[in-house]
Amino acid sequence: MSLYSDFIKGQLFRLCFSIMILGLIRILFLDLIAAIKAYHKAGDKKIQWKLIIRRSWEWYFPIKRLKNNFHIYSIFSILFHFGLIIVPVFLFAHISLWKDAAGFSLPALPFGWVYWLSAWTIVFAISLMTGRLVIKEIKELSKPQDYVWLLLLLIPFITGFICANFNLSPSSYQFLMIVHMLSAELIFVLIPFSKIAHCVLAPLSQFISALAWKFPPATDEDICVSLNNKGARI
Amino acid sequence: MRTNIITEEERTKAFTSIKKHEVVDKQGLDVRYHVEDFEVNNLPERFLEAFAAILEHSNYRLALEHYSRVAARCSQCTVACQIYQATGNKEDIPCYRSELLLNIYRSYFTLSGIIKGRITGTECLTEEKINEMAESYWNCTACRRCALECPMGIDHGLITHLARYILSEIGIVPRALVVSVREQLEGASGNTSAVPLPALKDNLEFLEDDMYEEKSVKIKFPIDEQDSEYIFFSPVSDYLMEAETLMGIAAVLTATNGSWSIGSEYFDAINYGLFYNDRILERIIKKVDNETKRLNAQKILIGECGHASRAAKNFLPTFCGGELAKPVESIIEYTYKVWKEGRLKLNPDIVTEKVSYHDPCNFARNRWIVNQPREVLKSFCNNYIEMTPSGENNICCGGGGGAVSLDEIRQYRTTVAGKLKADQIRKAGCEILVAPCANCKKQLRELVEDQGIDCKVVGFHDLIYRAIVFDDSLIVNDERNLKDSKEDNSKEGN
Repeated sequence: MSLYSDFIKGQLFRLCFSIMILGLIRILFLDLIAAIKAYHKAGDKKIQWKLIIRRSWEWYFPIKRLKNNFHIYSIFSILFHFGLIIVPVFLFAHISLWKDAAGFSLPALPFGWVYWLSAWTIVFAISLMTGRLVIKEIKELSKPQDYVWLLLLLIPFITGFICANFNLSPSSYQFLMIVHMLSAELIFVLIPFSKIAHCVLAPLSQFISALAWKFPPATDEDICVSLNNKGARI
Repeated sequence: MRTNIITEEERTKAFTSIKKHEVVDKQGLDVRYHVEDFEVNNLPERFLEAFAAILEHSNYRLALEHYSRVAARCSQCTVACQIYQATGNKEDIPCYRSELLLNIYRSYFTLSGIIKGRITGTECLTEEKINEMAESYWNCTACRRCALECPMGIDHGLITHLARYILSEIGIVPRALVVSVREQLEGASGNTSAVPLPALKDNLEFLEDDMYEEKSVKIKFPIDEQDSEYIFFSPVSDYLMEAETLMGIAAVLTATNGSWSIGSEYFDAINYGLFYNDRILERIIKKVDNETKRLNAQKILIGECGHASRAAKNFLPTFCGGELAKPVESIIEYTYKVWKEGRLKLNPDIVTEKVSYHDPCNFARNRWIVNQPREVLKSFCNNYIEMTPSGENNICCGGGGGAVSLDEIRQYRTTVAGKLKADQIRKAGCEILVAPCANCKKQLRELVEDQGIDCKVVGFHDLIYRAIVFDDSLIVNDERNLKDSKEDNSKEGN
């Protein structure tokens, strides 16, 4: 068991984490290359940076948004994301792991904070799941993978929470820890190939949308040639 | 602000098609708007060919690739969509609508989608899907309010724009728009309302006489003047139906000694290309550019029209030389500028009614023109009230994205698409609603009529015209005016 555990904590973790990082770098790189190409093709190269930055910023610190329209699901989502980002990054045990695997560390959050933030994340993940099952407009659009992702994200949180806060037998503890690490590693591997890629791509969305409205000039003839309707009447 | 779902009776009224069954059967297209006959064979193949050609020669692939990766289907856009709020149909959820096209993109234009298709052997694009898109993408008013609410930053309006473009390339596009564009680009009149130049000149002379009688000022609509500062393009429908808007604009330009001209070879600001086809958009923009060059004007001035202003402002640099393109100004910006400089005087005792302002989406969504008209209105309308939400977060009139031109869907526009706006106008309780856009004005007038709201919809310059104060040097005291004034005095004496 210990051999497996060391492998999961060591080589496998490093492999999965590398896949995630390289995968995310790849899609970010592809997005940026496509953006540069689009910029060069565009007839009008004036970009409304101020508007793009403001609109992006509003989603990273969405307090102002709550003044206008808001969806209850939006509140759950914001609160869930807060815990989802903070807990894995600033938990003492994880920081030790980073240090072993990558050679760097970050300041850790006090244990009490992590306890409440983990519980918070679990509660809001369940709220999101309930929202998908209950709120009509979300239920109608949800696909199986939307539920699977929430379940998958819940596994490391629940197992981690139990391991950290309950008195378990050594074998149960070790079993749950393996589930905890394997589920986290599965998440790492899947992130670049799924909608969770938004963790690196979403900040570019406003820029990409603005750029897509910057059309290339003189495409009329090219498209007519491609569609074989050059000279056709309207 | 939210609205309730429409009643069953309203639903029946709004979604009943007035089209003949034979036409629907012949075209195999069950949409409520009229479509000219098109090649009905191999629709999915032709759709994909058009999609591929557009992707190759545009910047849309960038957005589709990005959106396909980040789309979360969270439906948070529903809080912003007035169509969904009124119907409660999942087909009207902005991200559902966007997924229609994104799924096709993923299936046919990404490696994973192509492999998946080969393995499962399923065809994602069918005639039914095309039918669904033809209905769905024209139910949307392309107001882009949903884009503000998408946490992933997906611009559903862009996807609607692209889907309409592809559909138009296979012949599926509302007839009303095509007929207008055909006349504008290929017809003898060269404008969307088929107004011949002599008729335009007669009309303008008539307006000049009217203004002289009303204001005792010789206000001219200059035509074909070379080297003026501004060349003026108005939505041509204003020349037929919005006399007071045009008179207000001419009055402001005269009172402020503006150097301007209308071009006789091309004078229409309308650009329906923005609603359905980028190639058409480009051709119309080039007509504007050519006429500007012919008269050697320094700047382009667009009349009261949201889509026409946005089309010119955003796409003249795109299609006509980037930074070298002539600058574009909206008449609202001009009026604000001269008012701010103290060159435009407005009498604050004329407009006493309760006035409110409607933001056209094409002005406000990107925060281009929001506060300028409000500042001017507040300076002379003592009873000005604000509607909320407004500005960037405004509620669409319900006729955006070309919908207002489709008379066959009027019931849909005034019962479904404009329902939230109607609630907002009712709540505001204004007597006059200012809408500086030809399309918004038409839609809002039909909306208040169909919804039984007691409110007059006018243009921004209609009110300016009422309140404008001319410099004494411009007022002509000829015999006729003296006679009129004597008659008025004698009436008052009696």
